[in-house]
Amino acid sequence: MRTSLAWLNLTHEKTRLLVAIAGVAFAVILVFMNLGFLGSLSDTAAIAYGNIDAEIYLISPQALEITTTKAFPIERLYQASGIDGVKRVMPFYVGYLQWRNVETRQSRAMFVYGINPNDPVFLLPDLQKPDVQAALRRVDTVLIDRLSRPEFGPQATGTTTEADGRKAIVGGQYTLGGGFAADGSLLMSDQNFRRYFDPFPLNQINLGLIKLNDGVDPLSVVEAMRRTLPPDVLVMTSEQLTARDRDYWINATSTGFIFGMGVAVSCIVGVVIVYQILYTDISEHLKQYATLKAMGYRSSFLFNTVLQEAIILAVLGYIPGFIISVMLYELTVRATGGGLPVAMNLGRALFVLVLTILMCVLSGLASVQKVTKADPADVF
Amino acid sequence: MVGLAVVLQPLTPHPVFPCVLPMRTPLAWFNLTYERRRLLTAIAGVSFAVLLMFMFKGFENALYDSQVQLLKVLNGDIIVVNRLKYTMFIPEQFARRRLYQAQAFEGVEAAYPLYTRDGAYWKNPETKAVRPLRVLAFNPNDPVLNIPEVLAKQEGLKLPWTAIVDEKSRAEVGPRSAGIVTEMAEQQIHVIGTYSMGTDFASANGNVIMSDQNFLRYFSDLGPEETERDLNTVDVGLLKLAPGADANAIAVALRQRLPNDISILTKPEFVAMELNYWRKNTSIGFIFTLLTTMSFVVGIILVYQILYTDVSEHWVEYATLKAIGYSNRYLLTVVMQQSLILAMLGFVPGYLIALVLYDATTNATGLLMNMTLGRALEILIATVSMCLISGAIAVRKVQAADPAEVFGN
Repeated sequence: MRTSLAWLNLTHEKTRLLVAIAGVAFAVILVFMNLGFLGSLSDTAAIAYGNIDAEIYLISPQALEITTTKAFPIERLYQASGIDGVKRVMPFYVGYLQWRNVETRQSRAMFVYGINPNDPVFLLPDLQKPDVQAALRRVDTVLIDRLSRPEFGPQATGTTTEADGRKAIVGGQYTLGGGFAADGSLLMSDQNFRRYFDPFPLNQINLGLIKLNDGVDPLSVVEAMRRTLPPDVLVMTSEQLTARDRDYWINATSTGFIFGMGVAVSCIVGVVIVYQILYTDISEHLKQYATLKAMGYRSSFLFNTVLQEAIILAVLGYIPGFIISVMLYELTVRATGGGLPVAMNLGRALFVLVLTILMCVLSGLASVQKVTKADPADVF
Repeated sequence: MVGLAVVLQPLTPHPVFPCVLPMRTPLAWFNLTYERRRLLTAIAGVSFAVLLMFMFKGFENALYDSQVQLLKVLNGDIIVVNRLKYTMFIPEQFARRRLYQAQAFEGVEAAYPLYTRDGAYWKNPETKAVRPLRVLAFNPNDPVLNIPEVLAKQEGLKLPWTAIVDEKSRAEVGPRSAGIVTEMAEQQIHVIGTYSMGTDFASANGNVIMSDQNFLRYFSDLGPEETERDLNTVDVGLLKLAPGADANAIAVALRQRLPNDISILTKPEFVAMELNYWRKNTSIGFIFTLLTTMSFVVGIILVYQILYTDVSEHWVEYATLKAIGYSNRYLLTVVMQQSLILAMLGFVPGYLIALVLYDATTNATGLLMNMTLGRALEILIATVSMCLISGAIAVRKVQAADPAEVFGN
């Protein structure tokens, strides 16, 4: 139509429009925050696996996610290394140590990664530095994650403290981050792992990492391995394992239920806010709408106008909502000292956009009932 | 809006609000209720904002309440733990001889050791999948836990390879009634009964109770990659005091005389220490405070929307009232009253839906979601403040209403 009725209706009263946008924006923020927290809580695994240079993983079927694994014999890894396409296999050890904060003298559970220093396990730039590599090989020396919670204490190189009662010296730092379960982590050599977790034998590993030759299809190698290896070990690609971990976090720890409900109720609030606006608009302009109908415009035209208003509101509210959410994510990371790594990603941004539009369209549909009942005869 | 004629009626006390409102017509009430549809939408809006606040605050409280469920049923007036164990899931033990030492003190009637193990893999008898459960073990003759079902099964627990399972464990643990035979820590286990407690963030899947002798059977002879346990190291020591004894005084005495490798706390102090860890040293507090605050802001916007629309629509009438001689303060009270009424009307359905939600969550997750009077009042106060703030913002527009404009054109 020649005059964009939807747009003009909305923008006619500036204050009302601003309040409406604020309402939608805050509903959007609530949804983003819930999804963000859910994401960060379940992202420990994704962060670790994302920084590891391996395509295929071996884990015990009894392992639930990266912090609750069960050790299995290293022989499985040797068996896997014989499969075609495998470039290199690397053992991986994980566990928790009570890390003592030298300043407060309180201990806190620190998640530990143990690797053979000669294996290129982690894709972290800090690990390429020669002094860090040298530190990794020293006795009782560990690397600490910069994003560990402040309660773990000072992270400066040379800090000497205790881990599970054994002396520990910080030899360097790296930047990884972990979710809720691993809000602080250490990286150490397998020899040191053996020392701290004595009598944990190094021929029992928590994860087996497998790097493939360039161009080899991981799925076919996974198939080959599943045929060859006995069922006491699971073979998975990086994506499959990440999904398995995330699934466990979301379902097994009730965080999925909690934040899922948060999203659902926030959406309902959004629907109510938009409905209020559209309903008020329609009530006010009932005479005008009825007149349009008397002129010959069909109900579907009015229907479309309301829907357009709904969508415009959705988009106008989404933009500030998105911007403020990104700022709040940043605030969260700062306030928890890196303990909660909340980050925006494209998938979530799009999902919430679609959700917002749906939310507004729903309100539109609910409020449009009144418009279609607008009877020209009543007006005159 | 009710016509001006009503305003000019003689002084007769209103039948419904004789004393509550100082003016002759409850303008705020009429304004709100004039359009049914709009009122319902407004109430819905406020209820949902209230529901949001109840929900997020409720989850936060549930996470905290669940953590101390076990602590509350411990039958001890004074608790002894390793000094490093400032929260339950830290696997630090202390020497059992400390309990013998504590028993010698005056006022201490008995000392009960409680052994715990996190991450004991329980096999679901149907799906054969494993889940880590927390094991609580003690001498069945010691009244360690204040749970009737546990006391009832005292004799049964003395049999080898037996245990009782928390019926509120998560569904993935599988069927858990008496008679189930399955595996735990890769050894066979017989379930001889159930009790009711609930899960928490640390033992997210559930709890299993067994005797201390069985604890040895399962956990004293493991492979080198696991930490083995024996009965000489205790996780939580419970001291039962003589009736009427002063727990604080005895705790002080114990602290002075016993070595520094243990922490001695009265039961309330122990519970407070656990709660303090979850409040201060995890991100839970931050997350839910942020979400509750956002809900509060959403509520303010919602109510403001309603009040603003009302004020805009009745602009002319308000201006006319001012022209007649009503002061700005009068209009202020009308708007404030409207927001207060909205707060009350919206709180009730929000509260009721929250009750239903709490129930559903408890059933789905095993977390303890409780509505208490204190919590309800907290949210009520928040709701009222929310509406008052919106009212305060909306009222500025009213005060700008200029009578001259109305009659000018």
